Amino acid sequence: MPKFMLLLHDNVDGFAAMSPEQMQKVIEKYVTWGDRLRSSGVMHDGQKLTDEPGRVIRSKGGEVRVTDGPYSETKEVLGGYYTINAGSYDDAIAVARTCPHLEYGGTIEVRQVDAMGGE
Amino acid sequence: MTADAHRLVDHLFRERSGQMVAWLTRIFGPAHLDLVEEVVQDTLVKALQQWPFTGVPQNPAGWLFQVARNGALDVLRRRSSFRDRADTIARELTRSAERLQRHDWRIDDLIQDDEVQMIFLCCHPALSRDAQAALSLKTVGGFSVQEIARAFLTSDTTVAQRLVRAKRQLRAANATFELPSGEDLGLRLEAVLEVIYLLFNEGYAARDGDALVRDDMCREALRLARVVAASAVATPAAHALTALLAFQSARLPARVDDEGDVVLLDEQDRSRWDARLIAMGFAHLERSAAGAVMTPYHVQAAIAAAHARATAPGDTPWPTILRLYDDLLALQPSPVVALNRIVAIWKVRGLDSAEHELQALEDTTRLNTYYLLPAVKGRLLAARGEVERAREAFDAALQLPCSEPEKRLLRRLRERLGCRV
Repeated sequence: MPKFMLLLHDNVDGFAAMSPEQMQKVIEKYVTWGDRLRSSGVMHDGQKLTDEPGRVIRSKGGEVRVTDGPYSETKEVLGGYYTINAGSYDDAIAVARTCPHLEYGGTIEVRQVDAMGGE
Repeated sequence: MTADAHRLVDHLFRERSGQMVAWLTRIFGPAHLDLVEEVVQDTLVKALQQWPFTGVPQNPAGWLFQVARNGALDVLRRRSSFRDRADTIARELTRSAERLQRHDWRIDDLIQDDEVQMIFLCCHPALSRDAQAALSLKTVGGFSVQEIARAFLTSDTTVAQRLVRAKRQLRAANATFELPSGEDLGLRLEAVLEVIYLLFNEGYAARDGDALVRDDMCREALRLARVVAASAVATPAAHALTALLAFQSARLPARVDDEGDVVLLDEQDRSRWDARLIAMGFAHLERSAAGAVMTPYHVQAAIAAAHARATAPGDTPWPTILRLYDDLLALQPSPVVALNRIVAIWKVRGLDSAEHELQALEDTTRLNTYYLLPAVKGRLLAARGEVERAREAFDAALQLPCSEPEKRLLRRLRERLGCRV
């Protein structure tokens, strides 16, 4: 079964204004969503990325340069990712559509993991 | 991700947020309440960003306190204003966070003193009652400005301004986190109990609006009462208040019907009363009997207990309740108490006595703008079968200021007389 990555970009401003009760409700939604996907074998993995923008490493003219990550100037940060099992892009998108992330102003980028015939 | 995700206890974030605010306010000092609230909010946001991916940690409370500690240490490093106290603060942060971590199964106990002191701080005499109530809900209760506004049926701006002013007044008064001593302690405790009582009543009152947040406020008031009653400064009055709120809370599920309309006590489905809360009420009622002081909380709790004991409306011990209303009226002469007492008189001595008392109340007090008076009159007349006069009384009540659910109840009572709306 092909694997897809759901890259979750957060809209950080939306979170800061929430009440503790609202935050808990949001977490519960994600957890319920993740549980359902895990029990049906769709969820493969999920990881949170640290908050700082990270580093970008480029090589130019033989010289390697390290700069701060690409997100420092934008409000959206890549918060984390899930890897899911899905038959096709359409299936993966159907799964991503059910993710609570979309309800809270976040963006989901869906990418297929290229198995290079290895799967 | 863990195979079986851990579940969050209801209102965990609210409660933990209040506990973290109390804990950090003790360490940083009341003057830095804004900063403390910021650290706690950031902590919760971190959980919100992480737990959707990693699942809920095995020990959510321990996780939150640890992250709050790190956030607080970070603040100390960034802000120069703490320079001379930074080391002491950092040591205490680490020491107490480790202690909470080591005994994480009883965080509630360990943090309880901080919580009690925080409630007492919120009820500082420099603040108005409304400000005390709002600040308690915000800091100890973990309610947001919007939630407080919805619970009090007021605007976000009003609540936000009230909170800003309250914090400024606390700073101006040099309020400390330590409990007051001597006579002041008793006075402050009285204020604390009054604020808790006010929070409960605001949530309990029959009004339209966000029913969920209003029920939450009742729940939070009961929680605060229990925290105070379990503390070293608890008095019999604190137990009496806790008993009262437990009995009233037990009836919350039966108090409104599916349409959000008020259900009168006699008509409530008593199987929906919460037996656990009733038992809690009796436990605190027993402890409230220590000592010689009789407060209005004692009497109200005893009345609520008498209702709670009755498994059917016919079992209600009305003579006992009437005696208690006599006591309450002596302690707290108010129109609401007087009118409730008249209902008890009706049940014990009959309609003639009740109508006589009502007439006397009408003659001696200026209650002509209070809807409950004609409403009670209407019920007495209806019981007598005087349909036309009862209808007039309900119509009169409907002309006076009262909330929408109260209006719907009055209309329902009037409809039952066989009249058209």
